[in-house]
Amino acid sequence: MSRWAVEGVTAHLEQFDLGPVDLSLTPGHVAAVLGNSGAGKTTLLRTLAGFLPVRSGRILRNGEDLTERPPEHRGLGYVPQGLGLFPHRTVERNVSYPLDVRGRTDGLARSRKLLDRFGLAELARRYPARLSGGERERVALARALAAEPELVLWDEPWQALDVEARYELGRIFEELREVDRIPVVVVTHDPGLAFSVADSFLVLRRGRPGFLGTPSELLASPIDPFTARFVGFENVFARAALAREAAGSFGAWLAGRAGEGGVAFARPAVDLGARTAARWEGMVRSVRPTPEGLAFTVVVGGLSVALRSAGPAPVRWPAVGERLRFDAEEKSLHLLAPPAPDSPGPDA
Amino acid sequence: MSPASANASPRRRWRTGPAWTGLQVALSASLLLLFLLPLYALLTYAPPSEIGAAAGDPAVRAALWLTFYASGIAVLASVVFAIPLGYLLARRTFPGHSVVEAIVALPVVVPHLLVGLGLFLLLAPGSPLFFSVYDTLYGVIFVMVFVSAPYTVLASELAFRAVDTRVLEASRSLGAGPATSFLTVSFPIALRGIIGGLLLSWARAVSEIGGILILAYTVYPSGLYNGPTTSTISVLVYNLFQNGNLRYAAAVSSFFLLIAFVLFTAIRVAERSGWLPWGRGELTP
Repeated sequence: MSRWAVEGVTAHLEQFDLGPVDLSLTPGHVAAVLGNSGAGKTTLLRTLAGFLPVRSGRILRNGEDLTERPPEHRGLGYVPQGLGLFPHRTVERNVSYPLDVRGRTDGLARSRKLLDRFGLAELARRYPARLSGGERERVALARALAAEPELVLWDEPWQALDVEARYELGRIFEELREVDRIPVVVVTHDPGLAFSVADSFLVLRRGRPGFLGTPSELLASPIDPFTARFVGFENVFARAALAREAAGSFGAWLAGRAGEGGVAFARPAVDLGARTAARWEGMVRSVRPTPEGLAFTVVVGGLSVALRSAGPAPVRWPAVGERLRFDAEEKSLHLLAPPAPDSPGPDA
Repeated sequence: MSPASANASPRRRWRTGPAWTGLQVALSASLLLLFLLPLYALLTYAPPSEIGAAAGDPAVRAALWLTFYASGIAVLASVVFAIPLGYLLARRTFPGHSVVEAIVALPVVVPHLLVGLGLFLLLAPGSPLFFSVYDTLYGVIFVMVFVSAPYTVLASELAFRAVDTRVLEASRSLGAGPATSFLTVSFPIALRGIIGGLLLSWARAVSEIGGILILAYTVYPSGLYNGPTTSTISVLVYNLFQNGNLRYAAAVSSFFLLIAFVLFTAIRVAERSGWLPWGRGELTP
């Protein structure tokens, strides 16, 4: 069981600067690295894996400094974006690879155990090109686990997976956490799924950490508009946009309660079945059904506000162009910090 | 509408029109005819009995042996020297990278008589170097390596460049050092492309005549070659033609052509069938 500490790590790639990044990983801890394309998520993983030199800071495993160690001596299971499966080796030979290169003779036996565990035994003799996306993902993870790594680095595991495969992957994350007790750093741009597996979040923006903490801390902290959108707030209004709203309008009401960077809030519920004396009124622009009920967007002054129906989908859908009244509770408003300054980023 | 025809109609929409298909077939067939007609003329000029006689002629056999022997060594030289250069060009950036690429392409574009002249001046008796390759097996090999190795360098460079960096990073992170990663991942994945380059190199070496005419017109036994005094098959055919023995030149050429055709076809069939170790995995259906 290893404890990892990333202390003020910075790296440089062409015109891009990463960091300083701090992370603390205990056994079984899942840290999700979030950010848009170009935020530096993959750059961070490649730095941790040893493929990019650390400019300053340290990477420690149980107090031992691994910062200068080559990738093959870091005890990692790295699953790169695209998975990096070996096209010329069968599934079982992909999984046995970490043991084969260490000269161990039990590679195939260990490979078969892992294939059994991940429900891949029947595919042992297949080549990766003949696997589905979910199967490939499981092979990549089995391979990463073959040499009993002390940290798993996983880049975009949910990319291009269907619903079933995503569900299966969520189960595998549970196992990693509960059974293997291996810490995992997972990169994703899918906040919903990150919330379902992560113990902590590192939000990167243009290479700089915008937030580091637990999911509940993230939701309680004064995040910037970018992070607010990222973690799933559907109504995010920057201060500059609110400042343009007319006095007495919904926008002006929000502006009076916004933080320095603006304000964010979840979809307010609207009771479509009853006549309401709600305070604000907007014109319906779009309506779509969801398992939780109807989700719709109304235009209020210059703002586009996302709403939802209270309860399951009603029999009568509001028509586009129809006027609807709604309320937004002051206690549901999330004050935002000013956005982080921009700097150019790599496509990573 | 039956279910079968309902299923078939969306596929039909994607078929190309007859005019477009016709144009493709016509253009492709024209080029194939250009390839085949001269060969047809060659193969039909000499009667089969004369082709059989050429096959049994010791002089032709000696020339054939020399040609395959020298070209085989030239291909080995490509394996040793050209594949590493291809890897270097694919995986490293260094000052003068483009200049090196241009140097590699040079033997492909320079007329081969000039190549022979240059090698003659460099390696002939009285040259600044201490040994002479004039009219020896080594002369043939030098010319063949010069004209053929670039194909392996270029093919290797492309093949190594096509290996996904993330696959290499995965292998390193899984415990492979740089050399192990090269031998277990880079090289096997690039092998198919490299073999293609080696085949091209071999074909180019076998067909070379320009440089050989100057540097090793006649090959005398010495060093690694203990056979009779002879010449490469292309020089032999050229000699027969120059001496007006057109029918026998065509017979020898036909015999050589049949051997080359059988060899290349066998390699291609073996490759397609997955009997050879390269190309397995993503390339095998």
